Amino acid sequence: MTPRRAPRGAEGSDLDLFAPDSPPPPPPSPAPRTPSTRRSARPPEPERADAYPGETAQSAVTVSMLAQAAHDVIEGAFIPLWVRGEVSDFKAHRNGHWYFSLRDRTAQIKCVVWSRDQRGVPASPDDGMQVSAFGRLSVYAARGEMQFTVVRIEAEGDGLRRKALERTRARLEADGLLAPERKRPLPRFPRVIAVVTSLDGAALHDIVAVLRRRAANVRLIIVPAKVQGDSAPLELCAALDRVNRWGKADLVIIGRGGGGREDLWAFNDERVARAVAACDVPTISAVGHEVDMSICDLVADVRAPTPSAAAEAATRSRAELQSELKKLSLRMGSAARATVRHESDRLRHLQRDVAAASAELVQRRRSDLQDVAGRLHALSPLSTLARGYAVARDEQGATLSDVAAFRDDMPFDLVVRDGVVPARVRRRGSTPGNPEAT
Amino acid sequence: MKFEARLARLEAIAQQLESGELELSRALALFEEGVEQLRAAADELTKAETRVQQLAERANGTFDVIEPRE
Repeated sequence: MTPRRAPRGAEGSDLDLFAPDSPPPPPPSPAPRTPSTRRSARPPEPERADAYPGETAQSAVTVSMLAQAAHDVIEGAFIPLWVRGEVSDFKAHRNGHWYFSLRDRTAQIKCVVWSRDQRGVPASPDDGMQVSAFGRLSVYAARGEMQFTVVRIEAEGDGLRRKALERTRARLEADGLLAPERKRPLPRFPRVIAVVTSLDGAALHDIVAVLRRRAANVRLIIVPAKVQGDSAPLELCAALDRVNRWGKADLVIIGRGGGGREDLWAFNDERVARAVAACDVPTISAVGHEVDMSICDLVADVRAPTPSAAAEAATRSRAELQSELKKLSLRMGSAARATVRHESDRLRHLQRDVAAASAELVQRRRSDLQDVAGRLHALSPLSTLARGYAVARDEQGATLSDVAAFRDDMPFDLVVRDGVVPARVRRRGSTPGNPEAT
Repeated sequence: MKFEARLARLEAIAQQLESGELELSRALALFEEGVEQLRAAADELTKAETRVQQLAERANGTFDVIEPRE
């Protein structure tokens, strides 16, 4: 089967369902409502030169002409519309197109989604799904079948989006991009924060407001990208790539404000998720409100519930830092005071120890002295004197113990038990060699 | 010195002082340094401001940082 052009406009006049060699469409017939009633109402009459195509056996139309006529009638009769039914016989053909049937209890119709129209469908539907499909009714001449050419599908309960999310998530998980150990810590004091978002969205406004309120010391660099619409995924990827190539950001915030599920869809795009994972610096994802969870959130290093929360997670306020400085100051002060107190305590102890030691020393010296005094006393001549002996001393106090020390007429002192008696040597002669004391 | 480095230095000083294992002269020198760092950090905080700019890529793949339109 070869890819065929899908109907685009409401007119369908450029349709070409026929093979390249098929004849041109028949001239427009005077719009018979239903060929069958027409035939029964007007039995064929042979051999009429002015018979209109198909009126007689001789003027019979070709199958192709009939199919083309049916095609034109059908396409002309229906504007593109939504049709509700259950999906069955789904087949993703290797040529890229999807084929399935939509059915209800009493009827079914063949459907096709051309590969190029599949962008408008989050994921292929599964058999049994209740869906609404938007497209236009046509005729597939090669099979003589009516065919509904679908360009959008909405499944009940948003089933297709959930399925697409699950698939994307599984692929990212298989590549290890969701692993907790991949999460990088945010820099504590980022100087340059890149924010990938729309220039005129609420997210940017909220982030700037938070940073200004907190007087955060940062440069916020806006890297603009569309955040919704068909071009959003590629613009987001390009912006993230730009941040990497610029190379001066410490941190990236990617996100947008709240919106409908469809508005946030770009942040579930696998390419965007992979671009977030490929960021050289840590990333914060902030998509929509708290309740909105996106694939981008799963891949980013930190998921913030809102853009404002992302700005708060990324930076620290002046007040917060001031109180941190205050705490450090208190800690240093009390530690320094404790050190001084400790040192002066030590000094006091030392003083006491020194005093005690010197007192002890004095005491010991004193007792040593008494000891010596006792011993001195034992050796003292005074005790001998007490027993009646006397000692002779010259005027200088030297003991005179030999006769030769006594010269004639020399004064000296005689020390006795209770005092000193002045004395003088008598002239010798009467008893030579024996001076005589007076 | 970056604010972050100052804060780290202050934390280290506080911890050393709190260890109680310093000689008095060393403790006093650290304390003095800490006071100096605190003052510098507080100064830096009062000067803190948030700038908002926009990244623009030139055709040759180089970048400009421009003031955003209001």
